[in-house]
Amino acid sequence: MIDLIQAVGSGMLVGLVYSLLGLCIVLIYKASEAFNFAIGEFMVVGSFLFYILFFDLHLPFIIALPLGLAAAAGAGAIIQRLAIKPLIGRSPISMTIVTLGLAFFIRACLQLIFGSHSYSFFLELPDISIDTGELLFLSDPIWAGILALSAFGVVMFFLFRTRWGLAVRATSENQAKAMAFGINARMILLIVWAASSACIAIAGIMISNFGALSTMSSIVGLRAIPVVLIGGMDSIGGALIGGIIVGVCESMVGTYLEPLGLIGFKEVAPYILLLIVLLIRPYGLFGTVRIERV
Amino acid sequence: MNRRLLVVLSCVLILSSVVLSPASAKEIKVLSQFPMSGPVGALPEFGWGYIDGMNWVNGEGGGVNGKKITWFLEDFRYDPTVEVANFNKYCAEMSRDEFILATGYITGGLKPLADKVNKEEKIPWLDGSYSTEIFGPDGGPSKYPYYYSLGATYGDQVKALMRWIKQNHKGKGKPRVGMVYSPTAWGKDGTPEGIAYAKKIGLDVVAEIEYPYSATDATNECMQLRKAKAQYVIYHGYSGASGCTAIFFKTAKKVLKDVQLMGTHYTTNRMSILVCQEAYDGYVGVATRPFLDAVPRSKTPMENPMIKLAHEFAQKYRPEEYKRGVKDKDAIKDMFLYMEGLTYALMIQKVLTDADNAGDLSREGVKKALDNLVWDFKGMFGGKKFSYKSHTIPMMQIFRAEVKMVQMGDATVPTGSVNPITDWINSDEIKW
Repeated sequence: MIDLIQAVGSGMLVGLVYSLLGLCIVLIYKASEAFNFAIGEFMVVGSFLFYILFFDLHLPFIIALPLGLAAAAGAGAIIQRLAIKPLIGRSPISMTIVTLGLAFFIRACLQLIFGSHSYSFFLELPDISIDTGELLFLSDPIWAGILALSAFGVVMFFLFRTRWGLAVRATSENQAKAMAFGINARMILLIVWAASSACIAIAGIMISNFGALSTMSSIVGLRAIPVVLIGGMDSIGGALIGGIIVGVCESMVGTYLEPLGLIGFKEVAPYILLLIVLLIRPYGLFGTVRIERV
Repeated sequence: MNRRLLVVLSCVLILSSVVLSPASAKEIKVLSQFPMSGPVGALPEFGWGYIDGMNWVNGEGGGVNGKKITWFLEDFRYDPTVEVANFNKYCAEMSRDEFILATGYITGGLKPLADKVNKEEKIPWLDGSYSTEIFGPDGGPSKYPYYYSLGATYGDQVKALMRWIKQNHKGKGKPRVGMVYSPTAWGKDGTPEGIAYAKKIGLDVVAEIEYPYSATDATNECMQLRKAKAQYVIYHGYSGASGCTAIFFKTAKKVLKDVQLMGTHYTTNRMSILVCQEAYDGYVGVATRPFLDAVPRSKTPMENPMIKLAHEFAQKYRPEEYKRGVKDKDAIKDMFLYMEGLTYALMIQKVLTDADNAGDLSREGVKKALDNLVWDFKGMFGGKKFSYKSHTIPMMQIFRAEVKMVQMGDATVPTGSVNPITDWINSDEIKW
């Protein structure tokens, strides 16, 4: 039983960070129907911006974090202006393909600026570890879970309790109609990319704090793929649940199946789960079922 | 009379130049390939050490008995296909008489080139790979006669760690060992041999965990090791500079408080001090080179002649890169990397000179020189000599990391080094 609690708890904490990555994908998908394949690179950009403010300029965490997130949002907005805006009105596929190109471009730029080596990353947040001897939840994953949930809450508040959020939701429903009602869809898209970049940065900072920061950290962005496909591409709640499912799945497989000899199975388990979910529910657990009338 | 003498002398000169010119025009050509850039990691230090070393060899070093080496350096960007393509290109462009030695750096390149190098071209190939599959009992000189490694195999490295555990274990009962390795050819290489040896010498291997490079969390892995009551954990198949290593060490330091963390060559280095910081303190690792590059660098002990030589070279030829801070991508972040490039240059000069002294400066002559080599590598292994009979440099040493955090201005920074705790071990002299 203790093992089960440990596995589920650890998985949930990491899963919350995956949820945040998933949320960023969902936000952009809802606004533009494009899949952001550069999510891992956006994560590293945000993390490096925070790194400069906190570790290089030695600003206090309370100041460095919002400034870092604002900088990440700014970077996201600039990238949207330069690479995504010219594609508004065209097929979402072209926007998706551009994000693939962006991933390579951003990674190359990061390597040119920061090199390929790892940067140490110790946030020294207050220790809130839970250690009962048999059960152990470390401080860093707990903080990651708290920050991820907080970011989720802020995004939900923004979307469902503010006028701008209403505009974002309206644009997500139908861009043409929203524009007919006077909503500036271009501005909405800009806001969505900026907000998404800030959220990705939080996930990046937390993940870097587990270990170190390097341009190679972008590989973690791939975790968002099973998260959103399991949860549903257009479901914010689905991203939350999908992230937790992926985190718990990895953790359970690591705890119960790998010791039986299925070494390395943890890495592929979320994708097997994804296949099962897609076979049963092709639009994910909470995705909108699209019925096309012909 | 004078006119006759002049004519005779001119004829002799012309004839001698005609007769001797093919031999004296023959160049000594060497190809070296290092991973200096690319998506996996930018390590230009390899190239810098090699360039400085080869320039020194051709200048102050006296070349190969006065003859200069025409050397080519390629960055294969950690991509075996690039390494293979480069080698094929040079083979096509250069004559076998002149192109007599090649070097590479990864196992991924050795496998596809095995037939080309060992059966077709028959060119001596020095490599940075420590692959047990290629250089261990199932490979080695009989299967790959032209492949030579510049270090002991991973199998021998893991066995050396097991042996150290056996010799230094103080508790009651059998020592309990956990193996953590990467799901890569590198991580899986040497692990079965190490586990078999552990069982042979009476150690209990209580956990075997595959921990991926893309890991975001190591809590489960560490909890598994804690549940298995591992007293020693061998972490193998990773670079000390990678994020997953930092995750593992940070987590292990909290979850596995009384456990001795250990590791193989590429986790035993300066980058681990810089990236893992205090979590790396107390780590025990095996390495095939003297890993002495302290943080800060000025505190590096210089008793080892090769360490001293490498630092002198770097200070002389790369003063800016040597002094730059570790965050600077153009800095020499770890002197091991620079020294590695330099050791290639020195090894190339040594074997070519030996072949020349034997009067056979050809591919076969260089192979014979390597097979007959008995050398102390300019004092690198504490004065001990090694031979290339196993086609590896079979030398290893075990180190312990000592890391302390100190306050510097507004920041807390790590200081420390990895220091030797054993003498050099010659794997060829041990009955495993």
